[in-house]
Amino acid sequence: MSNLPNAPLVPLGWHTLGPFFPRTFFSPGDNDLTRLSPDAEATAQGQAVIIRGRVLQEGGGPCVNAVLEAWQADAHGHFRHPADPNHAKADAGFMGWGRAWTDAEGAYDFRTIIPGGYADPSGPRAPHINLGLLGSGIMRRLVTTLYFPAFAAANAADPVLSVLPAELRPHLVVQPDGEVEGTPAFRFDILLRGEAHEETPFFLD
Amino acid sequence: MDQLPPDLFGPYDEHTQPQVPIPHYAGTYTRNPRRAPFRRPVTRTEATGPLDLTAKLRPGDINLSQVDGKLAQGQLIWVSGRILDEDGRPVPGALVEMWQANAAGRYFNPLDQRDAPLDPNFLGNGRCQADENGTYGFFTIKPGAYPVPNSNRWWRPPHIHFSILGPSSLSRLVTQMYFPGEPLNDHDLLILSISDREAQQRLVSRPVPTQDVEGEWLAFRHDMVVRGRHATPPL
Ligand SMILES: [Fe+3]
Repeated sequence: MSNLPNAPLVPLGWHTLGPFFPRTFFSPGDNDLTRLSPDAEATAQGQAVIIRGRVLQEGGGPCVNAVLEAWQADAHGHFRHPADPNHAKADAGFMGWGRAWTDAEGAYDFRTIIPGGYADPSGPRAPHINLGLLGSGIMRRLVTTLYFPAFAAANAADPVLSVLPAELRPHLVVQPDGEVEGTPAFRFDILLRGEAHEETPFFLD
Repeated sequence: MDQLPPDLFGPYDEHTQPQVPIPHYAGTYTRNPRRAPFRRPVTRTEATGPLDLTAKLRPGDINLSQVDGKLAQGQLIWVSGRILDEDGRPVPGALVEMWQANAAGRYFNPLDQRDAPLDPNFLGNGRCQADENGTYGFFTIKPGAYPVPNSNRWWRPPHIHFSILGPSSLSRLVTQMYFPGEPLNDHDLLILSISDREAQQRLVSRPVPTQDVEGEWLAFRHDMVVRGRHATPPL
């Protein structure tokens, strides 16, 4: 590495979250993206949905005590962030971020809204949710993106989903999974390690 | 800003990042994909992130060294530093979560069932928001080393876990901080999973001269660099 005054600094090395991430860091509403805080009313615009599933490790057993972090656009495809040229139009009632924790069965769930798609210099982005996975043994965050079955044409044009070989793309499309008290639910199971046809595709973080 | 500069979030230098699997760490075998991750374009969705999470992840007490006015056991320490981007610019408002074992090397966590004493005056968890200069800090105690179960007596050196949520999804960082001069550092399988020697050393905090610290605290400085070349302007 160079010692020039303007030489870039090097990002620190990742480490695992380990098994002892404090449970007290979780509040009951952290996995609810439709609220700005755990004790607030749901204020997000858009169609509320439940995303639920299980995180499994090699052999199909549950990946317990893993942490999932979700990040997504609002119902109109805007982010409240300066890197979004339309950030001024973003839904002020939507934070777009949530954190969930897998239980003894490896199960997790989020409550959120269906995000909007948007035009991006890299291509038209289909409605999608970014997921980051952290946990014991996972030395670097595993990231993937989930898509909705209702937007087949948009999914086919999405510049990130298109990076995958065609046969792997269905892995990242959630499946209808009934409803929870009138809110439609979708299933997204994650297999961290398995045979090529069953392992969940991840992206370079 | 219509288009993100291409150098905004470059890929990590693999030599500065851990490689898996790690011997004696079963989870690194069963929980990491066989398939290499797919390289994707960095678009708006990856470059953005929540700018203020404090309504959800509320900053707490930065003094972990006592409970109800009763001091924890162990050497009192003050750990502080700055959250910086790759240009050396501060990352104001970053959320910093930390957790650690007590002086006997045991976590106040029901999943830690090791037969070492718990300290009722030490919970070992903290969360704070970096200030406008990117500065964070915690009063705590120096954690003890602990053996990893079923690992042929691999001992983790004293360390503090950190989780940083910066202004972008791609500036997320989970890491651990080590202490200078600890013999166990040279043998730790997590440190050694990073091949670059300088990258290993950057995980080790620096001692602050005792003359510079008031009160009965030893102090350590630890700047943490997250990914990203451009500081995030406020909205
Ligand atoms: Fe630890």
